[in-house]
Amino acid sequence: MPVLEIHDLVTNYVTPQGNVDAVSRISFTVEEGQTFGLAGESGCGKTTAAMSIMGLLPSNGRVMGGQIILDGEDLLKKDEKELRKIRWKKMSIVFQGAMNALNPVLNVGEQISEVILEKEEITRNDAMDRVRELFDLVEIEPSRIVDYPHEFSGGMRQRVMIAMALACHPKLVIADEPITALDVIVQNQILDLMKDLQGKLNLSQILITHDLSVIAETCDKVGIMYAGKLVEYAEAGPVFKTPLHPYTSALIGAYPSIVGEKKTLNFIPGSPPNLINPPTGCRFHPRCPYAKDVCSREEPGYVEEEPGHYAACHFVTELRDRLRLEDRR
Amino acid sequence: MAQESLTKGSLRRERFSTSVRRFRGFWALYRQSRIGMFGLFLVLSFVAVALAAPWVAPYDPRALVGKPFERPGEDHVLGTDQVGRDIYSQLIWGSRVSLMVGLFASAFSVAIGTAIGLVSGYLRGPIDTVMMRITDLFITLPNIPLMLILAAIIGRSVWNIILVIAVTGWTGTARMVRAQTLSIKERPYVEAARSVGARDSQIMFRHILPNIIPLIFANAIVGIVNAILAESGLSFLGLGDPTKPSWGLILRHANEVGAMATGRLWFIIPPGICIMLIAIGFAFSSYSLDQILNPRLRERRG
Amino acid sequence: MGFKEYVGKRTLHGVVTIFLAVTLNFILFRIMPGDPTRAVSGDPRVDTATRLALIAKFGLDRPLFEQYFIYLYNLLRGELGISFVQIGRPVIDIILGRKMVNTIILMGSSMFIAFILGIVVGVFAAWRRGTRIDISFIVISLATYSMPVFWFGMLLLLFFSYYINIFPIAGTITPGLVHPNFLAYAKDYLHHLMAPMITLGVSFFGGYFLFMRDTILDVFTEDYMLTARAKGLSDRKILFKHAMRNALLPMVSLMGVHVTFLISGATMTETVFSWDGLGRLIYDSVRNNDYPVLQGIFLFMAVLVVVASILSDVVNAFLDPRIKEAVD
Repeated sequence: MPVLEIHDLVTNYVTPQGNVDAVSRISFTVEEGQTFGLAGESGCGKTTAAMSIMGLLPSNGRVMGGQIILDGEDLLKKDEKELRKIRWKKMSIVFQGAMNALNPVLNVGEQISEVILEKEEITRNDAMDRVRELFDLVEIEPSRIVDYPHEFSGGMRQRVMIAMALACHPKLVIADEPITALDVIVQNQILDLMKDLQGKLNLSQILITHDLSVIAETCDKVGIMYAGKLVEYAEAGPVFKTPLHPYTSALIGAYPSIVGEKKTLNFIPGSPPNLINPPTGCRFHPRCPYAKDVCSREEPGYVEEEPGHYAACHFVTELRDRLRLEDRR
Repeated sequence: MAQESLTKGSLRRERFSTSVRRFRGFWALYRQSRIGMFGLFLVLSFVAVALAAPWVAPYDPRALVGKPFERPGEDHVLGTDQVGRDIYSQLIWGSRVSLMVGLFASAFSVAIGTAIGLVSGYLRGPIDTVMMRITDLFITLPNIPLMLILAAIIGRSVWNIILVIAVTGWTGTARMVRAQTLSIKERPYVEAARSVGARDSQIMFRHILPNIIPLIFANAIVGIVNAILAESGLSFLGLGDPTKPSWGLILRHANEVGAMATGRLWFIIPPGICIMLIAIGFAFSSYSLDQILNPRLRERRG
Repeated sequence: MGFKEYVGKRTLHGVVTIFLAVTLNFILFRIMPGDPTRAVSGDPRVDTATRLALIAKFGLDRPLFEQYFIYLYNLLRGELGISFVQIGRPVIDIILGRKMVNTIILMGSSMFIAFILGIVVGVFAAWRRGTRIDISFIVISLATYSMPVFWFGMLLLLFFSYYINIFPIAGTITPGLVHPNFLAYAKDYLHHLMAPMITLGVSFFGGYFLFMRDTILDVFTEDYMLTARAKGLSDRKILFKHAMRNALLPMVSLMGVHVTFLISGATMTETVFSWDGLGRLIYDSVRNNDYPVLQGIFLFMAVLVVVASILSDVVNAFLDPRIKEAVD
């Protein structure tokens, strides 16, 4: 059974200017022991999706429909009290920029052990022991559990966040831009750590990022989001080797290869649409080089061009070879 | 638009019209706040009364125009005090003292505080240290003892009150301005200005100060509330000018003759209500101002 | 720098400030017009013998510069002069006695109540932001903030002493009453303490409430609050363990600054309620032009404020782990 199933999730934000259609009917599955990558530009809805799963939307955010089935239970049918019990025990999250995600006036051992003590019947000493083990796991000196967040560097703080996320052995860990706020060398270290943990603990993860190279390195399955929609969904290999959606292809193309020949950077002209009044039909059509009439009228459904490889475009079959060629250009 | 020459004059005009536009936008926002508008209404009412005092007050506030302790009646709307002066007239004239002290004391205190905070925060080093020690000293000065020392030396007058309140009240502004200066100093455009060769005074006044002005203004309004309350307190203690009618002075008389023990409501309640209303007027206005100007408060609405 | 170094540094600052205050005190009282020695000895109520003794003791016939050092020397020995009104009684006796205790009890209890109530209600109002309870407290706070302390006291007396007799009209204890034991004395004292304490406390409550509410709302926007929610902690834990601890830090600093206002407030409250403390002493000394006493009180207050300020900074540093590491 998959750890997480999302079906037709719709999330809106209510603002004075109107309703923001932030997540518009997305569906995906995360199997046990799998890392699912959710990729896309800033503002495409990936964080909103994560917050919807955790139930941490701000006061003006509302899940309007769909199902979020974690370990067999639909989270959207649960009230706040039940959700609170599930949080951290079954699913946890590593936030971006642990700079401020840790409370400055409590030491890190306290912050991690408090959630263990809250969720399990365990003595304080045993909880602290587990914190020490967790620190060991993320390669921090266990004696540092009495230190305060400001005494750690950025990378170390992120390790602390990871340790904290694993504290109650959750079924699902969501990592929202876990390394974006770090400098490059540290990014690599944390990435290696995450891959290591993934292997050791057989973690089920959702990795959210705009950085495709990270996804390529760590994820089993990928979902590409654009303007609140999931436009491509497949295993990692196929997505990168044979992208089927123009947006995916453009996104990949925007990353220069270090071994390839020198070429001018491809970028996607225009900017992401306003989600209060999203474009009609396919939301990508204003920026798509292959757009035709139908694209502005009808929203494309998912086409399973290859087994397990879906893309939401009217011209998947027609474009598949061209996209591959463009990428190699 | 493209070929307009950037003369000093045209720049100044553009800056002016931008300020006007910004003010209009600000006013539109302010008008939405019921609290703010109510506060403004109160303030303006008192200002009107103060300005029109000679024509609105039925009697000369210092003249003995009735029997002592007369209850409110036809001749005297709010009765008379312990020697026979009309209370209602004293209230009307008292608004002048309150407003004058409030506005001037706050203005001076904000001016001093801003100057010290700006210089201290910008120049840092030994100047900063010295000024901070001086600020610490002034924080410890309670206004009452200082006022009575001054009263003993120079005598009792409204200007002394203004002086004392200003001298004991600038420290809050100084600290805030210094903190703001320290943070704004690090911003890229200040560094850019410096690298272009701008003089220190230019940077302070053209770049840093305009950014602080909204907060200073909000501070000033709060300062008015504090100054008015301080003035009433000082007058109550007998440190004010006994010849000028002030609300605190009326209450002093009431206290001295034990009006509480004899149930003379009209002596006690109206002056306090006046102080309260004018303070509320300014406090409400400042509350609205703060809501609009403080970016963190805006962020919270999410 | 470590915690101890911070305390040391802060204390040094405090000493410097007290020194400056002492000097200011000296200057102010010495520059009074007319006979420069008037402040200490020139008052006609003081008889010649005493006056000569005072002149000798304070070196008032010496140049100003020497006077300054004599003044400092006398200060260190606790010699603050002699009261004009209570002839012959040393100022320091008058200050450091019954009156000081009464004032400290009044100030301490009011501040304590205002602080605790302000925090608890502030946290609660922030949590239930926008609800009727929140708004009512905001209105109450703005109203009490705009009310002069002494007027509120007068109203209390008018309504709850004159009209309805709950509170006694004046003093710290019922005059003339002989108390059989300490308990009875304490009861009487507390009964008299009620009204002034409520008055002074209410005047501070508004400020603390609004500040706490404001600070907590700021804390709510911090990222670590989202983390706390994500961890599925109970509302109470989130509020009190995570939010409040962070919000308390600025509150403690605020208390340090408030001591000055506490002194002014106490003065006015004591005057209205005839509470036998230093505030009332100020009022009486002003009326009687008893300068030595005024000078002494001024000094005492400066020291009090500095000590309170140092204490609040030290407590702040103790509570906030970040400061222990930071350099000034």
